[in-house]
Amino acid sequence: MALKAENVSKTYGSGLLGSRKCIFREVSFELEPGKTFGLMGPSGEGKSTLGRIVAGLESPTSGTILLNGNPLLGMKKAEYTAFRRRVQMMFQDPTDSFNPRKRIEQSISEVLKLLNSPESKRLQSTKEMLKTIGLPKEVLARYPSQLSGGQLQRLALGRILLLEPEYIVLDEPTSALDVSVQAQILHLLKKVQAEEGIGYLLISHDEAVIRFMSERIGMLKKGKLDMIRT
Amino acid sequence: MKKGICIQKSPGQWKDSIAHYLNLDIRKYKKTFKKFNRGGLFLFFFFLILALFPSLFAPYPPTERFVSYEPPSAAHLLGTNDIGNDILSELVYGARISMMVGFATACISTFIGLMIGLCSGYFRGTIDELLMGFTDVVLIIPKIPLIIIIGAFLHPSIWTLILVLGLLSWESIARVVRSKTLQIREAGYVKSARCMGFSSFHIMVSDIFPNLIHVLMPKFMLTTASAMISEASLSFLGLGDTSMKSWGIMLSFAFSRGGFIRDMWWWYIPPGVCIALCVMSIAMIGFGFEGRDEKERRGMDAE
Repeated sequence: MALKAENVSKTYGSGLLGSRKCIFREVSFELEPGKTFGLMGPSGEGKSTLGRIVAGLESPTSGTILLNGNPLLGMKKAEYTAFRRRVQMMFQDPTDSFNPRKRIEQSISEVLKLLNSPESKRLQSTKEMLKTIGLPKEVLARYPSQLSGGQLQRLALGRILLLEPEYIVLDEPTSALDVSVQAQILHLLKKVQAEEGIGYLLISHDEAVIRFMSERIGMLKKGKLDMIRT
Repeated sequence: MKKGICIQKSPGQWKDSIAHYLNLDIRKYKKTFKKFNRGGLFLFFFFLILALFPSLFAPYPPTERFVSYEPPSAAHLLGTNDIGNDILSELVYGARISMMVGFATACISTFIGLMIGLCSGYFRGTIDELLMGFTDVVLIIPKIPLIIIIGAFLHPSIWTLILVLGLLSWESIARVVRSKTLQIREAGYVKSARCMGFSSFHIMVSDIFPNLIHVLMPKFMLTTASAMISEASLSFLGLGDTSMKSWGIMLSFAFSRGGFIRDMWWWYIPPGVCIALCVMSIAMIGFGFEGRDEKERRGMDAE
Protein backbone atom coordinates (compact mmCIF):
# COMPACT_ATOMS: atom_id res chain seq x y z
CA MET A 1 0.00 0.00 0.00
CA ALA A 2 1.90 3.03 -1.21
CA LEU A 3 2.04 5.84 -3.74
CA LYS A 4 5.21 5.39 -5.75
CA ALA A 5 7.07 7.53 -8.25
CA GLU A 6 9.29 5.31 -10.40
CA ASN A 7 12.06 6.76 -12.57
CA VAL A 8 10.09 9.92 -13.20
CA SER A 9 11.69 12.45 -15.59
CA LYS A 10 10.39 15.76 -16.86
CA THR A 11 11.65 17.63 -19.88
CA TYR A 12 10.36 20.88 -21.33
CA GLY A 13 10.73 22.22 -24.88
CA SER A 14 10.67 20.67 -28.34
CA GLY A 15 14.40 20.12 -28.69
CA LEU A 16 14.69 22.52 -31.64
CA LEU A 17 17.73 24.84 -31.44
CA GLY A 18 18.69 23.43 -28.06
CA SER A 19 15.41 24.48 -26.41
CA ARG A 20 15.00 21.13 -24.63
CA LYS A 21 15.52 21.40 -20.91
CA CYS A 22 15.58 18.51 -18.50
CA ILE A 23 14.10 19.52 -15.13
CA PHE A 24 14.79 16.25 -13.30
CA ARG A 25 15.82 12.77 -14.37
CA GLU A 26 14.77 9.33 -13.11
CA VAL A 27 13.48 10.37 -9.73
CA SER A 28 12.08 7.57 -7.56
CA PHE A 29 10.50 7.69 -4.12
CA GLU A 30 7.60 6.26 -2.18
CA LEU A 31 4.87 7.73 0.02
CA GLU A 32 3.57 5.58 2.83
CA PRO A 33 0.25 6.00 4.64
CA GLY A 34 0.54 7.97 7.86
CA LYS A 35 4.05 9.18 7.05
CA THR A 36 5.54 12.31 5.51
CA PHE A 37 8.12 12.49 2.78
CA GLY A 38 9.75 15.89 2.76
CA LEU A 39 10.96 17.23 -0.57
CA MET A 40 13.22 20.23 -0.44
CA GLY A 41 15.58 22.00 -2.76
CA PRO A 42 16.38 25.35 -4.31
CA SER A 43 13.80 27.32 -6.30
CA GLY A 44 13.30 26.34 -9.93
CA GLU A 45 14.49 22.75 -9.50
CA GLY A 46 11.05 21.31 -10.27
CA LYS A 47 9.74 20.46 -6.80
CA SER A 48 6.24 21.70 -7.56
CA THR A 49 6.28 20.06 -11.00
CA LEU A 50 7.18 16.76 -9.34
CA GLY A 51 4.34 17.33 -6.85
CA ARG A 52 1.85 17.95 -9.67
CA ILE A 53 3.06 14.81 -11.45
CA VAL A 54 2.58 12.74 -8.28
CA ALA A 55 -0.92 14.23 -7.86
CA GLY A 56 -1.73 13.28 -11.46
CA LEU A 57 -2.23 16.87 -12.62
CA GLU A 58 0.64 16.75 -15.07
CA SER A 59 2.12 13.84 -16.99
CA PRO A 60 5.81 12.94 -16.74
CA THR A 61 8.03 12.74 -19.84
CA SER A 62 9.00 9.24 -18.75
CA GLY A 63 8.50 7.06 -15.71
CA THR A 64 5.35 6.05 -13.88
CA ILE A 65 3.24 6.90 -10.85
CA LEU A 66 1.82 3.84 -9.12
CA LEU A 67 -0.97 3.80 -6.59
CA ASN A 68 -0.95 0.49 -4.70
CA GLY A 69 0.94 -1.07 -7.61
CA ASN A 70 -1.51 0.29 -10.24
CA PRO A 71 0.15 2.55 -12.83
CA LEU A 72 -1.64 5.91 -13.28
CA LEU A 73 -1.28 5.89 -17.08
CA GLY A 74 -3.05 2.58 -17.64
CA MET A 75 -5.98 3.32 -15.32
CA LYS A 76 -9.56 2.91 -16.53
CA LYS A 77 -12.06 5.74 -15.96
CA ALA A 78 -13.45 4.31 -12.70
CA GLU A 79 -9.95 3.67 -11.37
CA TYR A 80 -8.85 7.16 -12.33
CA THR A 81 -11.87 8.67 -10.55
CA ALA A 82 -10.88 6.71 -7.45
CA PHE A 83 -7.26 7.94 -7.84
CA ARG A 84 -8.53 11.52 -8.03
CA ARG A 85 -10.23 11.10 -4.66
CA ARG A 86 -7.34 9.27 -3.03
CA VAL A 87 -4.55 11.63 -4.03
CA GLN A 88 -5.13 15.32 -3.37
CA MET A 89 -3.03 18.43 -3.59
CA MET A 90 -2.92 21.53 -1.40
CA PHE A 91 -1.52 24.68 -2.96
CA GLN A 92 0.78 27.43 -1.80
CA ASP A 93 -1.48 30.47 -2.07
CA PRO A 94 -4.51 30.10 0.22
CA THR A 95 -6.19 33.21 -1.21
CA ASP A 96 -6.24 31.54 -4.60
CA SER A 97 -7.60 28.17 -3.43
CA PHE A 98 -11.27 29.19 -3.46
CA ASN A 99 -13.31 30.70 -6.26
CA PRO A 100 -13.54 34.42 -5.36
CA ARG A 101 -17.13 34.61 -6.60
CA LYS A 102 -18.47 31.81 -4.42
CA ARG A 103 -19.19 31.77 -0.69
CA ILE A 104 -17.20 29.15 1.21
CA GLU A 105 -20.42 27.26 1.85
CA GLN A 106 -20.99 26.87 -1.88
CA SER A 107 -17.43 25.67 -2.50
CA ILE A 108 -17.78 23.10 0.28
CA SER A 109 -21.24 21.89 -0.73
CA GLU A 110 -20.03 21.34 -4.32
CA VAL A 111 -17.50 18.84 -3.02
CA LEU A 112 -20.19 17.06 -1.01
CA LYS A 113 -22.40 16.95 -4.11
CA LEU A 114 -19.48 15.48 -6.05
CA LEU A 115 -19.29 12.74 -3.43
CA ASN A 116 -23.04 12.06 -3.86
CA SER A 117 -23.50 12.74 -0.18
CA PRO A 118 -27.23 12.87 0.71
CA GLU A 119 -28.51 16.36 1.49
CA SER A 120 -29.44 15.42 5.06
CA LYS A 121 -25.84 14.39 5.81
CA ARG A 122 -24.14 17.41 4.21
CA LEU A 123 -24.63 19.73 7.15
CA GLN A 124 -23.33 17.11 9.55
CA SER A 125 -20.23 16.45 7.40
CA THR A 126 -19.55 20.19 7.13
CA LYS A 127 -19.86 20.63 10.92
CA GLU A 128 -17.47 17.74 11.55
CA MET A 129 -15.02 19.15 9.04
CA LEU A 130 -15.11 22.60 10.70
CA LYS A 131 -14.55 20.97 14.07
CA THR A 132 -11.48 19.13 12.75
CA ILE A 133 -9.91 22.27 11.32
CA GLY A 134 -10.98 24.41 14.30
CA LEU A 135 -13.06 27.11 12.61
CA PRO A 136 -16.51 28.47 13.56
CA LYS A 137 -19.45 27.88 11.24
CA GLU A 138 -19.72 31.62 10.56
CA VAL A 139 -16.90 31.32 7.99
CA LEU A 140 -19.25 29.41 5.69
CA ALA A 141 -21.24 32.52 4.86
CA ARG A 142 -18.13 34.50 3.92
CA TYR A 143 -16.42 35.06 0.60
CA PRO A 144 -12.72 34.08 0.35
CA SER A 145 -11.70 37.75 0.31
CA GLN A 146 -13.27 38.17 3.77
CA LEU A 147 -11.07 35.50 5.38
CA SER A 148 -7.43 35.45 6.43
CA GLY A 149 -4.71 33.35 4.77
CA GLY A 150 -4.58 30.96 7.75
CA GLN A 151 -8.35 30.46 7.77
CA LEU A 152 -8.38 29.81 4.04
CA GLN A 153 -5.53 27.31 4.27
CA ARG A 154 -7.42 25.46 7.04
CA LEU A 155 -10.55 25.46 4.89
CA ALA A 156 -8.53 24.22 1.89
CA LEU A 157 -7.33 21.31 4.02
CA GLY A 158 -10.85 20.74 5.37
CA ARG A 159 -12.29 20.63 1.87
CA ILE A 160 -9.67 18.08 0.85
CA LEU A 161 -10.41 15.98 3.96
CA LEU A 162 -14.07 15.68 2.90
CA LEU A 163 -12.83 13.48 0.05
CA GLU A 164 -11.13 11.16 2.56
CA PRO A 165 -7.83 11.04 0.67
CA GLU A 166 -5.02 8.57 1.34
CA TYR A 167 -2.26 10.91 0.20
CA ILE A 168 -1.94 14.69 0.05
CA VAL A 169 0.71 16.58 -1.87
CA LEU A 170 1.41 19.72 0.18
CA ASP A 171 2.98 22.27 -2.15
CA GLU A 172 4.58 24.87 0.15
CA PRO A 173 1.47 24.96 2.35
CA THR A 174 2.86 27.47 4.83
CA SER A 175 5.18 29.70 2.81
CA ALA A 176 2.50 32.34 2.18
CA LEU A 177 1.62 32.55 5.89
CA ASP A 178 3.25 34.34 8.81
CA VAL A 179 5.23 32.38 11.40
CA SER A 180 2.56 31.93 14.10
CA VAL A 181 -0.04 30.81 11.55
CA GLN A 182 2.57 28.52 9.96
CA ALA A 183 2.94 26.66 13.26
CA GLN A 184 -0.83 26.30 13.62
CA ILE A 185 -1.17 24.85 10.13
CA LEU A 186 1.74 22.43 10.65
CA HIS A 187 0.27 21.21 13.94
CA LEU A 188 -3.12 20.81 12.28
CA LEU A 189 -1.50 18.77 9.49
CA LYS A 190 0.23 16.55 12.06
CA LYS A 191 -3.01 16.08 14.01
CA VAL A 192 -4.96 15.17 10.86
CA GLN A 193 -2.21 12.74 9.83
CA ALA A 194 -2.27 11.03 13.22
CA GLU A 195 -6.08 10.73 13.15
CA GLU A 196 -6.66 9.75 9.52
CA GLY A 197 -3.36 8.04 8.62
CA ILE A 198 -2.80 10.17 5.54
CA GLY A 199 0.55 10.08 3.73
CA TYR A 200 2.02 13.49 2.89
CA LEU A 201 4.44 14.64 0.24
CA LEU A 202 5.58 17.92 1.76
CA ILE A 203 7.28 20.29 -0.66
CA SER A 204 9.09 23.22 0.88
CA HIS A 205 12.28 25.19 0.64
CA ASP A 206 12.16 25.78 4.42
CA GLU A 207 14.43 23.16 5.99
CA ALA A 208 13.01 23.70 9.50
CA VAL A 209 9.49 22.93 8.31
CA ILE A 210 10.67 19.83 6.44
CA ARG A 211 12.67 18.54 9.41
CA PHE A 212 9.74 19.16 11.80
CA MET A 213 7.23 17.32 9.64
CA SER A 214 9.02 14.54 7.80
CA GLU A 215 10.14 11.01 8.57
CA ARG A 216 12.07 10.83 5.30
CA ILE A 217 13.63 13.72 3.43
CA GLY A 218 14.82 14.09 -0.15
CA MET A 219 16.72 16.95 -1.74
CA LEU A 220 15.95 17.76 -5.38
CA LYS A 221 19.00 19.47 -6.80
CA LYS A 222 20.46 19.64 -10.30
CA GLY A 223 17.82 17.25 -11.59
CA LYS A 224 18.61 14.50 -9.08
CA LEU A 225 16.93 13.39 -5.88
CA ASP A 226 19.31 12.71 -3.00
CA MET A 227 17.96 11.10 0.12
CA ILE A 228 19.01 13.02 3.22
CA ARG A 229 17.01 11.21 5.87
CA THR A 230 15.76 7.70 5.21
CA MET B 1 20.70 61.42 -7.22
CA LYS B 2 21.39 64.28 -9.62
CA LYS B 3 18.51 66.14 -11.18
CA GLY B 4 17.98 65.38 -14.82
CA ILE B 5 19.10 61.77 -14.63
CA CYS B 6 16.49 59.59 -16.26
CA ILE B 7 15.07 57.14 -13.78
CA GLN B 8 13.32 54.12 -15.21
CA LYS B 9 9.67 54.27 -14.33
CA SER B 10 6.68 52.07 -14.90
CA PRO B 11 4.08 53.37 -17.42
CA GLY B 12 1.70 54.31 -14.59
CA GLN B 13 4.37 56.40 -12.87
CA TRP B 14 5.16 58.18 -16.14
CA LYS B 15 1.51 59.08 -16.54
CA ASP B 16 1.43 60.50 -13.03
CA SER B 17 4.63 62.51 -13.48
CA ILE B 18 3.50 63.89 -16.87
CA ALA B 19 0.22 64.92 -15.25
CA HIS B 20 2.18 66.55 -12.43
CA TYR B 21 4.45 68.55 -14.79
CA LEU B 22 1.53 69.65 -16.94
CA ASN B 23 -0.36 70.54 -13.78
CA LEU B 24 -3.26 68.29 -14.71
CA ASP B 25 -5.63 66.98 -12.15
CA ILE B 26 -6.36 63.49 -13.44
CA ARG B 27 -9.01 62.92 -10.79
CA LYS B 28 -11.03 65.80 -12.21
CA TYR B 29 -10.98 64.19 -15.66
CA LYS B 30 -11.87 60.82 -14.17
CA LYS B 31 -14.88 62.43 -12.50
CA THR B 32 -15.94 63.98 -15.81
CA PHE B 33 -15.56 60.61 -17.46
CA LYS B 34 -17.76 59.03 -14.79
CA LYS B 35 -20.44 61.62 -15.44
CA PHE B 36 -20.04 60.86 -19.14
CA ASN B 37 -20.69 57.19 -18.40
CA ARG B 38 -23.78 58.03 -16.43
CA GLY B 39 -24.94 60.11 -19.39
CA GLY B 40 -24.45 57.03 -21.57
CA LEU B 41 -26.60 54.94 -19.29
CA PHE B 42 -29.33 57.59 -19.24
CA LEU B 43 -29.31 57.86 -23.05
CA PHE B 44 -29.38 54.08 -23.42
CA PHE B 45 -32.41 53.73 -21.15
CA PHE B 46 -34.13 56.52 -23.04
CA PHE B 47 -33.72 54.60 -26.32
CA LEU B 48 -34.64 51.32 -24.61
CA ILE B 49 -37.92 52.78 -23.37
CA LEU B 50 -38.60 54.17 -26.86
CA ALA B 51 -37.97 50.71 -28.29
CA LEU B 52 -40.12 48.90 -25.73
CA PHE B 53 -43.08 51.28 -25.64
CA PRO B 54 -43.09 53.19 -28.96
CA SER B 55 -46.86 53.76 -28.92
CA LEU B 56 -46.49 55.97 -25.82
CA PHE B 57 -44.18 58.39 -27.59
CA ALA B 58 -45.13 58.24 -31.28
CA PRO B 59 -47.86 60.76 -32.17
CA TYR B 60 -49.27 58.52 -34.96
CA PRO B 61 -49.04 54.90 -36.05
CA PRO B 62 -45.98 54.65 -38.35
CA THR B 63 -48.05 53.54 -41.37
CA GLU B 64 -50.70 56.27 -41.18
CA ARG B 65 -50.60 58.55 -44.25
CA PHE B 66 -50.80 62.33 -44.44
CA VAL B 67 -49.76 64.88 -47.07
CA SER B 68 -46.33 63.99 -48.56
CA TYR B 69 -43.15 66.04 -48.15
CA GLU B 70 -44.55 68.22 -45.36
CA PRO B 71 -41.99 70.38 -43.55
CA PRO B 72 -41.90 70.32 -39.71
CA SER B 73 -45.04 71.77 -38.15
CA ALA B 74 -47.03 71.54 -34.93
CA ALA B 75 -48.96 68.55 -36.29
CA HIS B 76 -45.83 66.79 -37.58
CA LEU B 77 -42.80 67.84 -35.55
CA LEU B 78 -40.39 66.27 -38.04
CA GLY B 79 -42.58 66.59 -41.11
CA THR B 80 -43.68 63.75 -43.40
CA ASN B 81 -41.89 61.61 -45.96
CA ASP B 82 -42.56 60.77 -49.62
CA ILE B 83 -45.59 58.59 -48.87
CA GLY B 84 -46.90 60.86 -46.17
CA ASN B 85 -45.81 58.93 -43.05
CA ASP B 86 -45.03 60.99 -39.96
CA ILE B 87 -41.21 60.95 -39.64
CA LEU B 88 -41.19 61.32 -35.84
CA SER B 89 -43.42 58.25 -35.49
CA GLU B 90 -41.18 56.30 -37.87
CA LEU B 91 -38.17 57.38 -35.86
CA VAL B 92 -39.69 56.18 -32.58
CA TYR B 93 -40.74 52.82 -34.03
CA GLY B 94 -37.36 52.48 -35.78
CA ALA B 95 -35.57 52.33 -32.42
CA ARG B 96 -37.09 48.91 -31.80
CA ILE B 97 -35.80 47.42 -35.08
CA SER B 98 -32.31 48.92 -34.81
CA MET B 99 -31.83 47.87 -31.19
CA MET B 100 -33.27 44.43 -31.82
CA VAL B 101 -30.76 43.83 -34.63
CA GLY B 102 -27.95 45.06 -32.37
CA PHE B 103 -28.84 42.95 -29.34
CA ALA B 104 -29.83 39.79 -31.24
CA THR B 105 -26.54 39.92 -33.18
CA ALA B 106 -24.57 40.48 -29.99
CA CYS B 107 -26.35 37.52 -28.33
CA ILE B 108 -25.43 35.17 -31.19
CA SER B 109 -21.83 36.35 -31.49
CA THR B 110 -21.25 36.42 -27.72
CA PHE B 111 -22.54 32.87 -27.42
CA ILE B 112 -20.33 31.57 -30.25
CA GLY B 113 -17.31 33.58 -29.05
CA LEU B 114 -17.78 32.33 -25.49
CA MET B 115 -18.04 28.67 -26.54
CA ILE B 116 -15.02 28.81 -28.85
CA GLY B 117 -12.86 30.91 -26.51
CA LEU B 118 -13.72 28.84 -23.43
CA CYS B 119 -13.04 25.46 -25.09
CA SER B 120 -9.88 26.78 -26.73
CA GLY B 121 -8.44 28.26 -23.54
CA TYR B 122 -9.45 25.42 -21.26
CA PHE B 123 -8.45 22.41 -23.35
CA ARG B 124 -5.41 24.01 -25.04
CA GLY B 125 -3.30 21.80 -27.34
CA THR B 126 -4.74 20.65 -30.65
CA ILE B 127 -8.27 21.90 -29.88
CA ASP B 128 -6.84 25.36 -29.17
CA GLU B 129 -4.80 25.39 -32.38
CA LEU B 130 -7.74 24.25 -34.51
CA LEU B 131 -10.24 26.68 -32.99
CA MET B 132 -7.87 29.65 -33.02
CA GLY B 133 -6.82 28.85 -36.60
CA PHE B 134 -10.50 28.92 -37.57
CA THR B 135 -10.93 32.19 -35.64
CA ASP B 136 -8.01 33.75 -37.54
CA VAL B 137 -9.62 32.74 -40.84
CA VAL B 138 -12.94 34.36 -39.81
CA LEU B 139 -11.04 37.41 -38.58
CA ILE B 140 -9.53 38.17 -42.00
CA ILE B 141 -12.80 37.83 -43.91
CA PRO B 142 -13.89 41.32 -44.98
CA LYS B 143 -17.28 41.48 -43.31
CA ILE B 144 -19.30 44.15 -45.06
CA PRO B 145 -18.50 42.94 -48.64
CA LEU B 146 -19.33 39.37 -47.62
CA ILE B 147 -22.60 40.46 -46.01
CA ILE B 148 -23.44 42.44 -49.15
CA ILE B 149 -22.89 39.32 -51.29
CA ILE B 150 -24.88 37.07 -48.92
CA GLY B 151 -27.59 39.74 -48.60
CA ALA B 152 -27.82 40.01 -52.38
CA PHE B 153 -28.22 36.25 -52.84
CA LEU B 154 -30.53 35.58 -49.92
CA HIS B 155 -33.95 37.10 -49.51
CA PRO B 156 -33.28 40.36 -47.64
CA SER B 157 -34.88 39.94 -44.25
CA ILE B 158 -34.00 41.20 -40.81
CA TRP B 159 -33.40 37.65 -39.57
CA THR B 160 -30.90 36.93 -42.36
CA LEU B 161 -29.11 40.13 -41.41
CA ILE B 162 -29.01 39.21 -37.71
CA LEU B 163 -27.80 35.69 -38.48
CA VAL B 164 -25.08 36.79 -40.90
CA LEU B 165 -23.85 39.62 -38.63
CA GLY B 166 -23.96 37.29 -35.60
CA LEU B 167 -22.05 34.53 -37.38
CA LEU B 168 -19.30 36.92 -38.46
CA SER B 169 -18.69 39.06 -35.36
CA TRP B 170 -17.64 36.57 -32.70
CA GLU B 171 -13.90 36.30 -33.34
CA SER B 172 -12.66 39.15 -31.15
CA ILE B 173 -14.89 37.86 -28.31
CA ALA B 174 -13.41 34.37 -28.74
CA ARG B 175 -9.87 35.73 -28.51
CA VAL B 176 -10.54 37.77 -25.38
CA VAL B 177 -12.37 34.88 -23.70
CA ARG B 178 -9.56 32.48 -24.61
CA SER B 179 -6.84 34.67 -23.11
CA LYS B 180 -8.83 35.21 -19.91
CA THR B 181 -9.60 31.47 -19.69
CA LEU B 182 -5.90 30.64 -20.08
CA GLN B 183 -5.23 32.93 -17.14
CA ILE B 184 -8.05 31.59 -14.93
CA ARG B 185 -7.29 27.90 -15.60
CA GLU B 186 -3.95 28.35 -13.83
CA ALA B 187 -5.64 29.75 -10.69
CA GLY B 188 -5.44 27.60 -7.56
CA TYR B 189 -9.19 27.05 -7.35
CA VAL B 190 -9.34 25.62 -10.87
CA LYS B 191 -6.36 23.35 -10.16
CA SER B 192 -8.00 22.25 -6.90
CA ALA B 193 -11.26 21.53 -8.72
CA ARG B 194 -9.40 19.43 -11.31
CA CYS B 195 -7.53 17.64 -8.54
CA MET B 196 -10.77 16.87 -6.69
CA GLY B 197 -12.18 15.23 -9.81
CA PHE B 198 -14.76 17.79 -10.97
CA SER B 199 -15.64 17.38 -14.66
CA SER B 200 -14.29 19.82 -17.24
CA PHE B 201 -17.87 20.93 -17.95
CA HIS B 202 -18.46 21.71 -14.26
CA ILE B 203 -15.19 23.66 -14.00
CA MET B 204 -15.94 25.66 -17.15
CA VAL B 205 -19.52 26.49 -16.13
CA SER B 206 -19.09 26.93 -12.41
CA ASP B 207 -15.54 28.21 -11.92
CA ILE B 208 -14.42 29.87 -15.15
CA PHE B 209 -17.59 31.34 -16.68
CA PRO B 210 -18.58 33.52 -13.66
CA ASN B 211 -15.12 35.06 -13.77
CA LEU B 212 -15.49 35.85 -17.47
CA ILE B 213 -18.65 37.95 -17.17
CA HIS B 214 -16.79 41.22 -16.61
CA VAL B 215 -14.86 40.58 -19.84
CA LEU B 216 -17.96 39.52 -21.75
CA MET B 217 -20.18 42.46 -20.80
CA PRO B 218 -18.11 45.21 -22.49
CA LYS B 219 -17.59 42.98 -25.53
CA PHE B 220 -21.35 42.33 -25.69
CA MET B 221 -22.14 46.04 -25.58
CA LEU B 222 -19.50 46.97 -28.15
CA THR B 223 -20.69 44.20 -30.49
CA THR B 224 -24.24 45.55 -30.13
CA ALA B 225 -23.01 49.02 -31.11
CA SER B 226 -21.03 47.78 -34.09
CA ALA B 227 -23.94 45.56 -35.25
CA MET B 228 -26.22 48.61 -35.20
CA ILE B 229 -23.78 50.49 -37.38
CA SER B 230 -23.45 47.53 -39.77
CA GLU B 231 -27.24 47.26 -39.96
CA ALA B 232 -27.53 50.96 -40.76
CA SER B 233 -24.82 50.72 -43.45
CA LEU B 234 -26.39 47.68 -45.08
CA SER B 235 -29.88 49.15 -44.93
CA PHE B 236 -28.56 52.35 -46.46
CA LEU B 237 -27.12 50.26 -49.30
CA GLY B 238 -30.58 48.78 -49.83
CA LEU B 239 -29.85 45.35 -48.34
CA GLY B 240 -32.14 45.74 -45.35
CA ASP B 241 -35.69 44.57 -44.83
CA THR B 242 -37.89 47.36 -46.16
CA SER B 243 -40.96 45.97 -44.40
CA MET B 244 -39.36 46.71 -41.01
CA LYS B 245 -38.28 50.32 -40.94
CA SER B 246 -35.12 50.79 -38.96
CA TRP B 247 -33.14 54.03 -38.76
CA GLY B 248 -30.86 52.74 -41.52
CA ILE B 249 -33.84 52.07 -43.80
CA MET B 250 -35.14 55.57 -43.07
CA LEU B 251 -31.80 57.00 -44.20
CA SER B 252 -31.86 54.82 -47.29
CA PHE B 253 -35.35 56.04 -48.23
CA ALA B 254 -34.39 59.65 -47.54
CA PHE B 255 -31.55 59.17 -50.00
CA SER B 256 -33.45 57.28 -52.72
CA ARG B 257 -36.82 59.08 -52.49
CA GLY B 258 -35.68 62.66 -52.75
CA GLY B 259 -34.95 63.65 -49.16
CA PHE B 260 -31.41 64.77 -49.93
CA ILE B 261 -32.25 66.46 -53.26
CA ARG B 262 -35.07 68.45 -51.70
CA ASP B 263 -32.81 69.28 -48.76
CA MET B 264 -35.32 67.86 -46.29
CA TRP B 265 -32.92 67.76 -43.35
CA TRP B 266 -35.72 66.74 -40.97
CA TRP B 267 -35.90 63.45 -42.87
CA TYR B 268 -32.24 62.37 -42.87
CA ILE B 269 -30.64 64.12 -39.89
CA PRO B 270 -32.83 62.68 -37.06
CA PRO B 271 -32.21 58.98 -37.90
CA GLY B 272 -28.49 59.72 -38.32
CA VAL B 273 -28.36 61.48 -34.95
CA CYS B 274 -30.34 58.65 -33.32
CA ILE B 275 -27.92 56.02 -34.68
CA ALA B 276 -24.94 58.06 -33.47
CA LEU B 277 -26.38 58.71 -30.00
CA CYS B 278 -27.62 55.17 -29.43
CA VAL B 279 -24.33 53.62 -30.58
CA MET B 280 -22.42 56.13 -28.46
CA SER B 281 -24.51 55.36 -25.36
CA ILE B 282 -23.99 51.60 -25.76
CA ALA B 283 -20.27 52.05 -26.42
CA MET B 284 -19.99 54.26 -23.34
CA ILE B 285 -21.59 51.57 -21.18
CA GLY B 286 -19.15 49.08 -22.71
CA PHE B 287 -16.18 51.33 -21.92
CA GLY B 288 -17.57 51.79 -18.41
CA PHE B 289 -17.50 48.01 -17.88
CA GLU B 290 -13.96 47.86 -19.28
CA GLY B 291 -12.89 50.63 -16.93
CA ARG B 292 -14.35 48.76 -13.97
CA ASP B 293 -12.47 45.64 -14.95
CA GLU B 294 -9.23 47.63 -15.18
CA LYS B 295 -9.90 49.12 -11.74
CA GLU B 296 -10.55 45.69 -10.23
CA ARG B 297 -7.34 44.34 -11.79
CA ARG B 298 -5.28 47.23 -10.46
CA GLY B 299 -6.87 46.81 -7.05
CA MET B 300 -5.89 43.15 -7.04
CA ASP B 301 -2.33 44.00 -8.15
CA ALA B 302 -2.01 46.52 -5.36
CA GLU B 303 -2.97 43.89 -2.80
